[in-house]
Amino acid sequence: MFRATYLLLICIVIIPTLPGIIGVMLSSFSYIPPVGLDSLSLQGYADVLNWPGISTSSLLTLFTALTSTYLALTICFAILQNLWRNKHWKRVELVLSPLLAVPHVAFAIGFAFLFAPTGLTTRVISTLFGVEFDDISTSWLVHDPYAIGLTLALALKEVPFLLLMSIPILQQLEIEKLSKVGSSLGYSPSQLWIKVVLPQWLAKMRFPLFAVVAYASSVVDFALILGPNTPPTLAMLVWQWFNDPDLQLLPRAASGAILLFILTSFLLLLVLLIEKFATHYFKRWQYSGRAGISLPGASFFGIITLLSIAIFPLMLIWSYAQRWRFPDIMPSRFSDRFWESEWPSFLPIISQSIAIALITAMVTLCLAVLAHEYRIKNKLHIPGYVVAIPMLIPQLSILFGLQIATLYVSSESYYLWVIWSHIFFAFPFVYLSLDGPWKSYNQNYTRAALSLGKSPLQAFFMVKSRLLLPSILYAWAIGASVSLAQYLPTLILGGGRIATVTTEAVALSSGFDRRVTAIYALWQALLPFVFFTTAILASRLQHKARVKPAIYQESVPNDATSRKPRHP
Amino acid sequence: MTRLITLIFSLLTVTHLHANNSWEEITNKADGQTVYFHAWGGSQEINNYLRWANSQLQQQHGVTLKHVKVTDIAETTARLIAEKAAGKNSGGSVDMVWINGENFKSMKSNKLLFGPFVDQLPSWQYVDQSLPVDSDFSVPTDGLEAPWGVGQLVFIHDTQKLNNPPASFSELLSYAKAYPNRITYPKPPAFHGTSFLKALLIELTNNDETLSQPTEKVDFQLITAPLWKYLDELHTVAWRKGTQFPSGSAETLQLLDDGQLDLAITFNPNAVFSAQENGTLADSTVAYAMDTGALSNIHFLAIPWNASASEGAQVAINFLLSPEAQSRKGDLKIWGDPSVLQNQYLTGTAKNTQLFKSIAEPHPSWQVALETEWQKRYGN
Repeated sequence: MFRATYLLLICIVIIPTLPGIIGVMLSSFSYIPPVGLDSLSLQGYADVLNWPGISTSSLLTLFTALTSTYLALTICFAILQNLWRNKHWKRVELVLSPLLAVPHVAFAIGFAFLFAPTGLTTRVISTLFGVEFDDISTSWLVHDPYAIGLTLALALKEVPFLLLMSIPILQQLEIEKLSKVGSSLGYSPSQLWIKVVLPQWLAKMRFPLFAVVAYASSVVDFALILGPNTPPTLAMLVWQWFNDPDLQLLPRAASGAILLFILTSFLLLLVLLIEKFATHYFKRWQYSGRAGISLPGASFFGIITLLSIAIFPLMLIWSYAQRWRFPDIMPSRFSDRFWESEWPSFLPIISQSIAIALITAMVTLCLAVLAHEYRIKNKLHIPGYVVAIPMLIPQLSILFGLQIATLYVSSESYYLWVIWSHIFFAFPFVYLSLDGPWKSYNQNYTRAALSLGKSPLQAFFMVKSRLLLPSILYAWAIGASVSLAQYLPTLILGGGRIATVTTEAVALSSGFDRRVTAIYALWQALLPFVFFTTAILASRLQHKARVKPAIYQESVPNDATSRKPRHP
Repeated sequence: MTRLITLIFSLLTVTHLHANNSWEEITNKADGQTVYFHAWGGSQEINNYLRWANSQLQQQHGVTLKHVKVTDIAETTARLIAEKAAGKNSGGSVDMVWINGENFKSMKSNKLLFGPFVDQLPSWQYVDQSLPVDSDFSVPTDGLEAPWGVGQLVFIHDTQKLNNPPASFSELLSYAKAYPNRITYPKPPAFHGTSFLKALLIELTNNDETLSQPTEKVDFQLITAPLWKYLDELHTVAWRKGTQFPSGSAETLQLLDDGQLDLAITFNPNAVFSAQENGTLADSTVAYAMDTGALSNIHFLAIPWNASASEGAQVAINFLLSPEAQSRKGDLKIWGDPSVLQNQYLTGTAKNTQLFKSIAEPHPSWQVALETEWQKRYGN
């Protein structure tokens, strides 16, 4: 039974990668019969390599992905080192859900509006201090040729995700115990974090880092808003090639997608190597000396919170602004017509988005838990890298193959295919987010339950799932938010029958009308916000309801006896 | 025997033709159909206009028009190719598309279009035949797509800041030199960027007749040499020193309003009116064309070969070509897109729209050649 369900899982989320990859591989070798290309050739690859600026584009991609990922990791670590479980920690957890809920596109738009040469920052400074900027000096954060703004914005946006991923890991690491040992050996708390917590935490953060670096290297919409365009990043270039009207050039786009795939794989390898070097090979830093630096984590967190939260009122003002010209600080004319004309079509779109996200989140969560349980019990299982593939390839490139496959099976089941594609793309994120918690889970609890006569299912539901509930809930919320963010799968596999908040938002943002974009970006943020808040509230409730379980208080001897019913 | 077969065949052809020809039959079949119309969804004005069209079509013909908003019609082309690869030659998911230029050429040459159907639309009689409605970027439409509106490449300036805008591209260069960092154009291969290059090339070569020939037949480097010389000079004084370019027309409008640029570029000569109405441009903005005229083209509506509701799509296209729908589309407060109908059938502000002197598009091969060369010189 267990095995059969696992096979089903493979059919749903792993096998479909094949038609996707075969499709893009064949196209990259110029085999696309419907457009009259039916002999294999390397023309596509030649076109890619001969493209002027391809090396700059590739380097830009490597630079932004790597720098933003490690910048985010450093900031995340600084925040944890500074604030983990101290008196401010509650506040960090509280603002985490709105931070996570801000969709990437909305964050990019907000960032651009704040820091563009005509952005709010410039407006405020020039109005208050009368300083005049020339264009060149203020344009280093939006569309700058070195992608500095893109890198910075990506890093800031990913910090909340890394924080969220760290919570269950640190909970399992039992920092309190570590710090007791550490301080008894004379390490300052901040040094303890760097020398003791960091290596363990880093190893467990491998898959979240994979997700972040893969996202950074293949993101298109975010880069379109903030990145350079002459030359653009590789992902933007591939996207541009796929949108080329001349269908004879499809092999070039497909080859570009393969190049991007190779580049992303290389980045994953690099992440792995950096982790191995830091924790295994060059570990002198781990035991040399007791003094060290403490990073300003609190101020980092303050900046990120301020930035992300500022986006909400900004969007709200924009959605009512009829005329808001540079350098005005506030709009000169307001109007509610932008809301009014979108309102009637809203309700069906929102309910549809929520329904699809709920189904996706539940199914994906079940599948991911199943996959992890199976991994523990069986040597023969899917390697993590294979699970990650849907995250690594540009969506547009595998969708072509997927689409043909779905048309062969059943062409009219639009809802089925859209939900399936959401599950397919959400699965790696959910799976990877459960990876750390599942690995740091102490199997002895389950063993104890089994030895006390519980069935494996009982042991799972009564012990393991309860201990891991926070991470399970977060994974559920991540699944829902990934589903809510899907644009291309919804549009292409839905054949236009299914409209979600995201398909509307992306389509409208192509018109550069900030007001309409703001309305949909608000909704796009609101829905994941609901999911994340639900997850965080639920895990808090559970934490409170759990009357300090015995396993968390190992330091108190014989805790179990104190709750034993008294027998006279 | 042979005769019998011939007879049967000719009978079949006749009934087939008959089925195709009778508009009444088409409208009967269309009743109750849902037409999935894939069209760019980036403009609230256009989206609202299509909502109105849907309500009218439902009332008048029982046809539901669903606007599937896409950011680029290439997304739809990908879907159509997948359907073709899977051998799905009927019951397709796309019933109608909004295209022109390269996308049409590519869909036509890959046989992704239904038709010819245009001549039998009752509204065809109102269409202004003096417009180049039967060729799309010099590719014959062969009745596979129906004209919907006219585009003219024009510039927008703010009269309060720049009262006397450059009337030719050579004046534009002198202006840019006098006021550095104020002039730019969208980055090719964005539609408006390539169009800017084409218009510039046409002026610099005095509309050399070789431009209407395929690039393989002419000395491309020789003819385009003045263009690259011009751009080399322009880029040194252009916005952000020619190292970055706006992504498209909409961004140039935004930059004009932000006071970063002095000229924005658009294909809708009436764009200023709806933009002013909407609050995205100042009331003092005006559109104008260079003295040599405005690069002009037409955008079209077509039906994929495997559409499920091809009858409904024909009824919808026929409605969108009706005087009622075209007058509303041309209404400056609604959308302002210039009509393809003869002026006598139009009403309201659409009637007053004056088109600029038009310049025809060069042969489509120039588009790709210019984009490639531009990329080589400035794209990295």
